[in-house]
Amino acid sequence: MPERVIICIGTRKGLFVAEAPKTRRAFALRGPFGPGVPVYAAMLDTRGTPRLYASSCNPFFGMKVLRSTDLGKTFKETTSAPAFPKDDGRALANIWSLEAGDGRKDIWCGVEPAALFRSGDGGDSWEMVPGISNHEHARKWQPGAGGLCLHTIHRDGNRVHLGISTGGHYLSEDGGSTFRASNRGVGAGFAPDPYPEFGQCVHKIAGHTDAPGRLYMQNHGGWAEWDGPGGRRPDIGVLRSDDHGHTWRSIARGLPSDFGFPIVVHPHDADTVYVIPLEPTTRTCPGGAPAIWRSEDGGASWSRLARGLPKKQSFFTVQRDGMDVDELTSPALYFGTTTGQLWMGRDGGEEWSCLFDSLPPIHCVKVVVV
Amino acid sequence: MTITIAVPGVLRDRCGGAAELVLPAPSVREALEQIERRYPALYRCVCDETGSVRRHVNLFVNAAHVRDREGLDTALVTGDVVTILPAVSGG
Repeated sequence: MPERVIICIGTRKGLFVAEAPKTRRAFALRGPFGPGVPVYAAMLDTRGTPRLYASSCNPFFGMKVLRSTDLGKTFKETTSAPAFPKDDGRALANIWSLEAGDGRKDIWCGVEPAALFRSGDGGDSWEMVPGISNHEHARKWQPGAGGLCLHTIHRDGNRVHLGISTGGHYLSEDGGSTFRASNRGVGAGFAPDPYPEFGQCVHKIAGHTDAPGRLYMQNHGGWAEWDGPGGRRPDIGVLRSDDHGHTWRSIARGLPSDFGFPIVVHPHDADTVYVIPLEPTTRTCPGGAPAIWRSEDGGASWSRLARGLPKKQSFFTVQRDGMDVDELTSPALYFGTTTGQLWMGRDGGEEWSCLFDSLPPIHCVKVVVV
Repeated sequence: MTITIAVPGVLRDRCGGAAELVLPAPSVREALEQIERRYPALYRCVCDETGSVRRHVNLFVNAAHVRDREGLDTALVTGDVVTILPAVSGG
């Protein structure tokens, strides 16, 4: 079978699947699946026969997990979705992340209110992970504007990194049994203490297998003008760790704004990382002119990529899971907007074109080559 | 006492396609407990993990919303119809 590029596009009105040959010249669109229901998370699982998963976050009838075994031509609900134990007192409000685990059918799932679940059977049954879900900090975490969500699960062998908004970065070094807050150098602009132990509004964390120990973080920045207790907090929005997330340092210098949501690493170069800076007050593109910013030296310097993107009057937001990159030799970036556009940037973001311009507001974009 | 549960079309695939479920129940709470046992997928759409009726799901006994009666403790008598309806939405 020739290589195909598959994009899962989670929107406010259901899941869409776009498919193209690896030339990426023409994408066919299918969907919506789970029509009318918001999709915040998707996972394209290439372990064995490819499977596509998506959350289906029904505000009326609760959370479901959708699964496709035919590359997104049809989807069915899994037998069950994550659910808190009956005596826990919490009720699932959203599913924010789906990630592959170690075993062929292992899936990890981050939810709102912030908690972690695991499935060992491809999503048909789920168990809560108590090490983080019942962490001593858990009842002290606060919801941000998007809710109190566990949105990032980044696995690196026995290490598991979690991003929680607003809880911060939590690290397990025993495969997910126990977790501890690991936020040294991660700032917060909305608390009197600029560097609290936990409670930061982490937006996304990314890494690369070629650079073990290195992580990139898009944190909630935009506090350079803050004049309250603790003083100004510039450049706390884009960070890097070189010690498996034990400590973090800013790499935001050179960006037009340190506020943003997604952060993505080039699939073939651990030094190349992409962000989408946004105005912190409006969470839209600076000056109405959207751009992706790329660093090719691990965050030491940044350059603007905007060829083909609107030059003015464009005020969309790209949400935390709204950008991804494929793994072809010359990879393309993809991002989806709150205005329902799906953009593709060939040659690592050098040349942009709009694939679809009238989808519902886009929450997440995940791409895979099969 | 035998009552009828009216299931909205969007949820009928969770109870074998039935538009109505006939079961004996002296209260709305007992009716939901029976649904949980017999049709767990339907129950999960109506109630969350805490046992609360989902925020955007309304339960009526005949023409009265249960919130205007005694909530889940609303007593049922033979012939009552408990209607499950999603709340109205826009956008």
